[in-house]
Amino acid sequence: MNIIVLVKQVPNNTEVKLDPKTGNLIREGVDTIVNPDDLQALETAFTLKETHGATITVLSMGPVQAIDALSEAIGMGADKAILLSDRAFAGADTWATSFTLGKAIQRVEKFDLILTGRQAIDGDTAQVGPQIAEYLDLPQVTYVFDIEKLDTGYVQVKRRLEDGYERIQCSLPAVLTIIGGRSKPRYPEISKLLSACTKRAPIEVWNAADIGVTTAEVGMNGSLTQVIKTFAPKFERQSEFLEGSAASVARDLVERFKRNKLI
Amino acid sequence: MIRSNPEELVRKNIARFVDKEIIPVAQELDNKGEFPREIFEKLARMGIFGIRYPRHKGGAGGNTTLFCIICEEISRGLLSVASITAMQCLMGTNFLFHSGTPEMLDQYFLPAMRGEKIGCFCMTEPDAGSDLGAITTRATEVDDGYLINGMKTWVTDGPEASFYTVMCQTDPTKRLRGIGYFFVPRHFSGVSVSSPFKCLGTRTTPICEVAFKDVLIPKEYRLTPEGQGLNSFLKIIAEIRTMTAALAIGLQRAAMADSIKYANERVASGKPIAKFQLIQAKIANMVTNLEASRLMTYRAAAMIDAGQDALKESTMAKYFATEAACSATDECTRIFAGYGYSMEYTAQRYFRDSRFLLNGGGTHEVLQGNIARWVGL
Ligand SMILES: Cc1cc2nc3c(=O)[nH]c(=O)nc-3n(C[C@H](O)[C@H](O)[C@H](O)COP(=O)(O)OP(=O)(O)OC[C@H]3O[C@@H](n4cnc5c(N)ncnc54)[C@H](O)[C@@H]3O)c2cc1C
Ligand SMILES: Cc1cc2nc3c(=O)[nH]c(=O)nc-3n(C[C@H](O)[C@H](O)[C@H](O)COP(=O)(O)OP(=O)(O)OC[C@H]3O[C@@H](n4cnc5c(N)ncnc54)[C@H](O)[C@@H]3O)c2cc1C
Repeated sequence: MNIIVLVKQVPNNTEVKLDPKTGNLIREGVDTIVNPDDLQALETAFTLKETHGATITVLSMGPVQAIDALSEAIGMGADKAILLSDRAFAGADTWATSFTLGKAIQRVEKFDLILTGRQAIDGDTAQVGPQIAEYLDLPQVTYVFDIEKLDTGYVQVKRRLEDGYERIQCSLPAVLTIIGGRSKPRYPEISKLLSACTKRAPIEVWNAADIGVTTAEVGMNGSLTQVIKTFAPKFERQSEFLEGSAASVARDLVERFKRNKLI
Repeated sequence: MIRSNPEELVRKNIARFVDKEIIPVAQELDNKGEFPREIFEKLARMGIFGIRYPRHKGGAGGNTTLFCIICEEISRGLLSVASITAMQCLMGTNFLFHSGTPEMLDQYFLPAMRGEKIGCFCMTEPDAGSDLGAITTRATEVDDGYLINGMKTWVTDGPEASFYTVMCQTDPTKRLRGIGYFFVPRHFSGVSVSSPFKCLGTRTTPICEVAFKDVLIPKEYRLTPEGQGLNSFLKIIAEIRTMTAALAIGLQRAAMADSIKYANERVASGKPIAKFQLIQAKIANMVTNLEASRLMTYRAAAMIDAGQDALKESTMAKYFATEAACSATDECTRIFAGYGYSMEYTAQRYFRDSRFLLNGGGTHEVLQGNIARWVGL
């Protein structure tokens, strides 16, 4: 069984700041982490490896620094990792990202399952997993929190709904997008982290030529959407305290409601 | 070729573990004062205890620098967890690793790497602390091995341990030249372990006395050849001091971070106390001492990794970084003022824990004496 897990390196949630002038994310000096839902996808893959036996290939698109996300995945137990890194990939929207990842996946020999996190905490679109499934023409189940059965040719999963869950059987190969499950993502093992840093580590870096795409098809050029502006919403709540006797405060309040057309 | 930087990668991952698994429970663990079994097992699962040992012999394939990074980060969370980690990585298992037979490695070393067995280090005696030449625990050669007799005290992790590396005298006339290390499993007949001491700080680290009465150990449990004990001690002492300095750096960072946070939040006379020059001076000193501690400590670690003699550098690093930790934690309690005296806040714990660093690896009076001797005094 071969499993591909897609991971994204994202800024540590608590530290995200926007440049007030440009509206861009300030990435310098910000700690980066593996996207939390992707950690769940990895944990799901490791559990399958333990119960069914599997070879896990981790795939990420990002700047060279994203190598750390892959090293961590190797540290946790992934067998191989591929980083898609090329200047041409920069500025990709979710469509161009899914296209690029899809192209790369077609170069990975053989796979039964593609696991992705539900969504990334920096973009929050939840689009990449489903778009890859569409691009590769594979069945997909989103919001998966438990894999109940894995057999030749099919998988049975639980899909989270707002008020319960669906039990879905799906043929393989398939794309599953994963949300937090029963088990907490494991921490990496130090010895594996260290071997991920060596030359012999099973980590490859692929560029546009390696996956057979032109620079016009990927990154900013290949994107169908452009971000015009990013801004931090202002939370300005003004509170006012009404003083006086209960009766006068009540009268005052009703007056204000009327003035603001609330009643 | 694009690869992660091992030191940054390890630091980042340990830091995350510390932030998520240790800091949120640090006060509670310290209050309870029990051995932090759950965290110990998690650290074992990450393979941390093997950081100094080569991969092909059950270790993680790291070095002293990486070991110090791990000690520093864990100490930032809770010094007593870091001290337990350091004991298991270094003093508790080092001599067993280097001199144990394959059976001993299977039976004790590998389980220790997996966190199933705990090892510790017994040098100090009730009447011999700084002056190791005065130890009286005897190893007497007999037909089928050695008989161990004597009493050790201040045994870090002693109450939880499965085996002890014991410094013994083989020939009292030789004083330091007669000492050697011997391996004593706890379950051997004649070993008795006291109940844990009540201590000022590092409360999750249990410490006790261990007595040895006619304990018969096999020949191969002698871990240093005749006359080599002192050399072995001198070989490991640089690493012990460097590691202790790294623990001190972690504690400085914890005290500094909490001091800065509190100084920005606490308002007196209409402004955050961080705006007062005297508070700024305290924090400026912390920052500067921290920087110097780092440079000294990681230089000593790099020298050890390069196979150089780092006795002087590690001695000065331990002395400086520990004094800096004592000062930073003291100043932290002052910045917290009344709340620095309250058990509800972290400042008191840092203050108490800092005293742990003073004695292990040599008291500062002894270290200052050494440093002075090296310049000809
Ligand atoms: C928390 C903790 C954990 C410990 N863990 C261990 C452990 O795991 N294993 C172990 O073997 N030991 C351990 N120790 C013991 C530690 O190594 C000793 O406390 C240390 O060696 C000092 O010995 P002492 O306490 O007997 O002090 P003493 O040697 O009696 O010193 C008393 C005072 O005299 C000073 N002094 C002594 N000799 C000199 C000198 N030559 N020049 C100048 N001043 C001098 C000292 O600096 C000190 O101020 C631990 C101690 C503590 C506090
Ligand atoms: C054991 C104990 C018993 C106590 N008993 C009593 C009692 O019986 N009755 C009572 O009323 N109080 C009592 N207190 C409270 C004590 O008086 C206060 O802790 C003290 O006044 C300091 O106030 P604070 O703790 O709020 O610190 P803060 O005033 O918040 O000070 C925080 C830090 O800012 C510094 N700082 C503040 N202002 C300035 C400034 N202008 N310039 C430079 N630095 C500044 C302080 O030196 C300190 O380092 C007690 C405190 C303790 C610890």
